[in-house]
Amino acid sequence: MDAELPYSLSNVADLPGHEDRAWNVAWNPVKPILASCSADKNVRIYAYTEDLRFKHLDSIPTGHAKTVRSVAWAPSGQTLATASFDANIGVWEKESEVDEAGIDQGEWECISTLEGHETECKSVAYSCNGTYLASCSRDKTVWIWEVLPDAEFETVSVLMEHSQDVKCVAWHPTEEILASASYDDTIKLYIEDPSDDWFCFTTLSGHSSTVWSIAWSPVGGYLASGSDDKTVRIWRRIAEHKWECVLVLTGHDRSVYSVSWGPGKDDKRKGKEGEHLGWLATTGGDGKVMIWEVEEPTVKEGETPSMSKPPDHRLVACLNAAHDVHDVNSVVWCPRKGYEDLLATTGDDGHTKVWKIAPSA
Amino acid sequence: AKSAGRRSDLSPHSLWINDDSGSDSEVEDKIEPIDQDEVFDLIRSIYDPEHPNTLEELRVVSSPQIAIGSNHVKVEFTPTVPHCGMSTLIGLCIRVRLLRSLPERYKVDIYVKPGSHQSEHAVNKQLNDKERVAAALENPVLLDTVEQCLSNVRGNNPLAP
Repeated sequence: MDAELPYSLSNVADLPGHEDRAWNVAWNPVKPILASCSADKNVRIYAYTEDLRFKHLDSIPTGHAKTVRSVAWAPSGQTLATASFDANIGVWEKESEVDEAGIDQGEWECISTLEGHETECKSVAYSCNGTYLASCSRDKTVWIWEVLPDAEFETVSVLMEHSQDVKCVAWHPTEEILASASYDDTIKLYIEDPSDDWFCFTTLSGHSSTVWSIAWSPVGGYLASGSDDKTVRIWRRIAEHKWECVLVLTGHDRSVYSVSWGPGKDDKRKGKEGEHLGWLATTGGDGKVMIWEVEEPTVKEGETPSMSKPPDHRLVACLNAAHDVHDVNSVVWCPRKGYEDLLATTGDDGHTKVWKIAPSA
Repeated sequence: AKSAGRRSDLSPHSLWINDDSGSDSEVEDKIEPIDQDEVFDLIRSIYDPEHPNTLEELRVVSSPQIAIGSNHVKVEFTPTVPHCGMSTLIGLCIRVRLLRSLPERYKVDIYVKPGSHQSEHAVNKQLNDKERVAAALENPVLLDTVEQCLSNVRGNNPLAP
């Protein structure tokens, strides 16, 4: 770890259990639990206490015929979606069966299976208010499903804009804007035309190889992307439907597989200039976890504010070998209030790890 | 001998996580560095998917085309013809062989020799995309083909010459 940086990451929990590569992890937005998924076709659920003790709660043998590549919670925290290389999306809920001792003995139940993709599903994501579910696949398509009552889902759009595998989908934090990242090196943004279908309103080009991961800034004015070209790009909304690359972050030695943008902890920000845009976490094949602090650009006196001026940024923490010699496949900030300094990672070692960021001693 | 070649297909362990009970323990030493000849030894006897010859015999792989860095192995190979449709499969066989044999700390990059293939960029991109490789190895037909190409490889089949 670099001692000169102002913050450090300390390990809070090391959660083994998957028998194969762990691909993805998702924090429940409401309850103190998180879910990880793996090439072993299982989902593991962990619970944590206020003093950050983590324990294994449930294992879901998903029944997916192949790798479970991605997991996502609905904003309600009640429902979990799984995306699998078997081309299907699973939707899961836990039956509540509280026994006499007050312990929930309920089992995770697959309430729906969404079929439609032709090949491996790579990512799944719920929209900000849970109205829609998006999924993407090696079949080059992005599907948007409407979430209806009684575990019903209706396909509202099949978007065929990418020329190659679609690696990741992510919804804007407050608006119904969907982003997708692809093996074709581009990012596409979609909105609904009220009188017609969903459509791609812009394509963001700049990465020179596969875009693996995308994350919106917490207030939604920026988008970060991580790529096989080893860089992270930051895109800024310069008009309602116009986005532009304003910053390229370097420092990773291999593919960037995952990016996550959290709000950061506000209490440490008092008296600082510039609007705090949060902490961006990045990780990948080099096994490093890097944390960048991002702020709105400061405008000096007499200077005209420019929409293309990059945000102020600095590397605040860097952790090497987060999963020993293994690739790190995902990094995710905890979305729950009071826990914004926690992040989870998963690696090729099959482990899920939880980290806390704190000022360096 | 046949089942030995299919061991990984039947094993509950992954293709990606080293099985300590495997037959490749001689190269699992965590400290001793490896050299290009040792890596070449691991891949020279892989069969070409279309010919009754090994990659060494067809001059698809050679020791000087292997570069070793600290915890990093780069393998370049030369497709037999510039439009060779089997190049990604050959590269996949090399990758699987090295995944099963090298210590976990090694990151492996595989490329076709520059200028040797008309779809050079596409082949390289596919071979170095871990998600595509993982998905390919969950395809039983493809995995079976890979196993056949690897069936003669020393260490993969203890009865092989």
